[in-house]
Amino acid sequence: MAGPAHPDAMAPSKPGKTRTAPPQMPASWWSHPRIRTYLAFDATGIVYLLLGLVALRVVWALGAGPEVWDATIASLSNPLYILFHVIGLVSVLFVGVRFFGFFPKAQPPRIGPAKPPPQPVILAGLYAAWLGVTLLFAAILGGWIF
Amino acid sequence: MKHFLLRIEPVIWLLFGQGLLIGTMLLTGWILVVGLAAPLGLVDAAALSFDRAHALASNIVGRLVLAALIVLPLWKGAHHMRHLSIDFRGADRDVVVAPVLYAVATIGSLLGILAVVRL
Repeated sequence: MAGPAHPDAMAPSKPGKTRTAPPQMPASWWSHPRIRTYLAFDATGIVYLLLGLVALRVVWALGAGPEVWDATIASLSNPLYILFHVIGLVSVLFVGVRFFGFFPKAQPPRIGPAKPPPQPVILAGLYAAWLGVTLLFAAILGGWIF
Repeated sequence: MKHFLLRIEPVIWLLFGQGLLIGTMLLTGWILVVGLAAPLGLVDAAALSFDRAHALASNIVGRLVLAALIVLPLWKGAHHMRHLSIDFRGADRDVVVAPVLYAVATIGSLLGILAVVRL
């Protein structure tokens, strides 16, 4: 990428008489790396939905008492759960890198009276927050602090 | 239904965006410890004992974090799955797919809030 694209780069200079059809994926989508990456990003939605439901199951078990909690935590050792969480970790890292990468480019030129900080600063802030939240949350859950 | 889906789009997008931002940040540590390190025996079992987990989760901060951990990824997931469906030539079936996915996210969110309230 030479630089950020002009926001109206894809728009006609003035609305024409030509009717436009809704965008459709080409039949050969599988051979387009950009479409593949785009669809992989969408497909992480399946993993996120399941991760949310697993988190719901775990927290629900915590409210159901010690026996249910212990059985639920033990069930996470099932190889299928381990495999799912490996896929989950890959998905979350992929989403983080991609989403935080284009987050700075999607900022409006100004928010009220203030200008957003330069893109590299936003990006660095997002990564710092991601790393910080992850280390703190993991340290609490893993019993290293508190 | 199409009109209704467009009307609620800002709310959906807010939850979807926070699922991307906050959901991703919370899920990384959650998966690393609860999903992988603890089941693989890399974490002291006492860390996720019932008493410790309940004490950590049942205060106001713990409840809010766990509610976000459940609710936001559900909306990120539902909205992205909807668009996956649209991209695979599903613009016509969207009036059925979108309400079903958002209903799953809504029910899951209500159960998630109930789950942290009853801790």
